[in-house]
Amino acid sequence: MRPMDYIVPESAEAAVAILAERGENACPLAGGTDLVVDLKHAPGNINALVDVSGLDEFRGIDVTDEGLRIGSMATYGEIMEHPVCLEKTPEVVAASHTVGAVQTRNLGTIGGNLVTCVPSADSAPALMVLDAEVTLIGTNGWRRMPIEDFFVGPRKTILEPYELLAEIWIPKHTLGKPSSFYKFGLRKGQALALVNAAAALELDGDRIVEPRIALGAVAPTPIRAVKAEALLDGQDVDAKLLDEAAQIAVTESKPIDDFRASKNYRRQLIRTLTRRVLERSVEIARKRQEQDKLH
Amino acid sequence: MLVELTVNGESRSANVPPETTLLKMLREHLGLTGAKLGCDVGDCGTCTVIVDGVSVNSCLMLAGRADGCDVTTIEGLATADDLHPLQQKFEEHGALQCGFCGPGMLISAKNLLDNNPDPSVFEVRDALAGNLCRCTGYTKIIEAVIEAGEMMSQEPANV
Ligand SMILES: Cc1cc2nc3c(=O)[nH]c(=O)nc-3n(C[C@H](O)[C@H](O)[C@H](O)COP(=O)(O)OP(=O)(O)OC[C@H]3O[C@@H](n4cnc5c(N)ncnc54)[C@H](O)[C@@H]3O)c2cc1C
Ligand code: FES
Ligand code: FES
Repeated sequence: MRPMDYIVPESAEAAVAILAERGENACPLAGGTDLVVDLKHAPGNINALVDVSGLDEFRGIDVTDEGLRIGSMATYGEIMEHPVCLEKTPEVVAASHTVGAVQTRNLGTIGGNLVTCVPSADSAPALMVLDAEVTLIGTNGWRRMPIEDFFVGPRKTILEPYELLAEIWIPKHTLGKPSSFYKFGLRKGQALALVNAAAALELDGDRIVEPRIALGAVAPTPIRAVKAEALLDGQDVDAKLLDEAAQIAVTESKPIDDFRASKNYRRQLIRTLTRRVLERSVEIARKRQEQDKLH
Repeated sequence: MLVELTVNGESRSANVPPETTLLKMLREHLGLTGAKLGCDVGDCGTCTVIVDGVSVNSCLMLAGRADGCDVTTIEGLATADDLHPLQQKFEEHGALQCGFCGPGMLISAKNLLDNNPDPSVFEVRDALAGNLCRCTGYTKIIEAVIEAGEMMSQEPANV
């Protein structure tokens, strides 16, 4: 790597100030699993790294009255071991488990994944179906938004210059919501998704309530399949309906041909994966209903 | 910048340029050439070391990040008298061919067994998914790890 300053700021505000002062040649460093790789191959004009991985404002996982707060600098390893994540957001844990391999998951952070903003980012769909929000801190202070608004394009987020991703919030009403994540890669480990998909829904009797579907590696950013969601909303569950929703999800996607898979193959995967995550979410919701009856 | 670490139980320090990776510091500044440089981008796992109880790709971690941390490398496994149970089992099973993946395989396996001495085959495969062996002796490696776990559970004094 070329010579580089390494700065450890005292606070999130200080980090923003240092980034603003150093200008475009400085960039934030989290786990480095994307950034250090990039810097080795194409360092551009970067000559300073501001290590935000240890900042208290960005660290930790905790439950408050509002919901679950996952610090942007939580590693996949930390998420996978956290008792509240395991109980209330098991599919965020499952998605974390599909990233790279153990060593990368111990370094890589969920926030770094969202900021890198590749279409295949594995943490995105599982968070999107739980109506997650993100908080940002920049030169104008803090702001908060739905996670969908954070993604702008391939490797492009809504972050202003010197602005940082601070937290991910999963609202109280979706904690424990029946959900499912499925990643299809060419191998189980160390493989990016050809397509990944997540769903979440509640059942009121047989009626589907608040359905959510999110897909990755099928468009310039991770997307919600809102038309498919609308088809399901308020309808009684049946196998044909779930498959119809999956077919609509295909039409909402804009998959591309690349060296990993063809457009047509991705279309097949979108339909199959969407159907599977919906079926699995229904199965979990049904189990929940049975348990509730017993209690 | 001055980086001070505990490596395999010993306090070590070095003055390194800030962009130095932990791998480079270990190999070039501390003379610990056990962890290998393979891909340099997080794919192969031969640079794996344990930092404060979790395994990481030392080619992706800046040395400055490890300041004050407790680091275990492959050099920390054997004692003057004995090989680590994993090393004994790797030898018995012929689990290494050229051996280049060995330092990372053994450290990943140690990190697994430290937390889960009785892993299933699936758990071993999952734990070693980030360690590539170009000689492709995976079956023997997995067998060796499972037997080492059994050995370590039987002789806790040896661990
Ligand atoms: C071997 C390997 C396998 C991988 N496999 C997968 C996979 O299966 N699925 C997957 O989705 N990803 C995968 N990745 C990509 C990567 O691990 C993830 O995207 C990771 O989560 C990035 O997080 P990080 O903490 O390492 O970020 P870094 O690399 O430190 O940073 C990433 C980017 O975000 C910026 N940044 C970091 N933190 C902040 C912040 N708080 N605010 C603003 N900007 C910030 C940095 O400047 C940089 O541009 C893999 C990577 C490797 C090396
Ligand atoms: S050299 Fe670090 S993973 Fe290959
Ligand atoms: S023994 Fe040669 S790479 Fe594994």
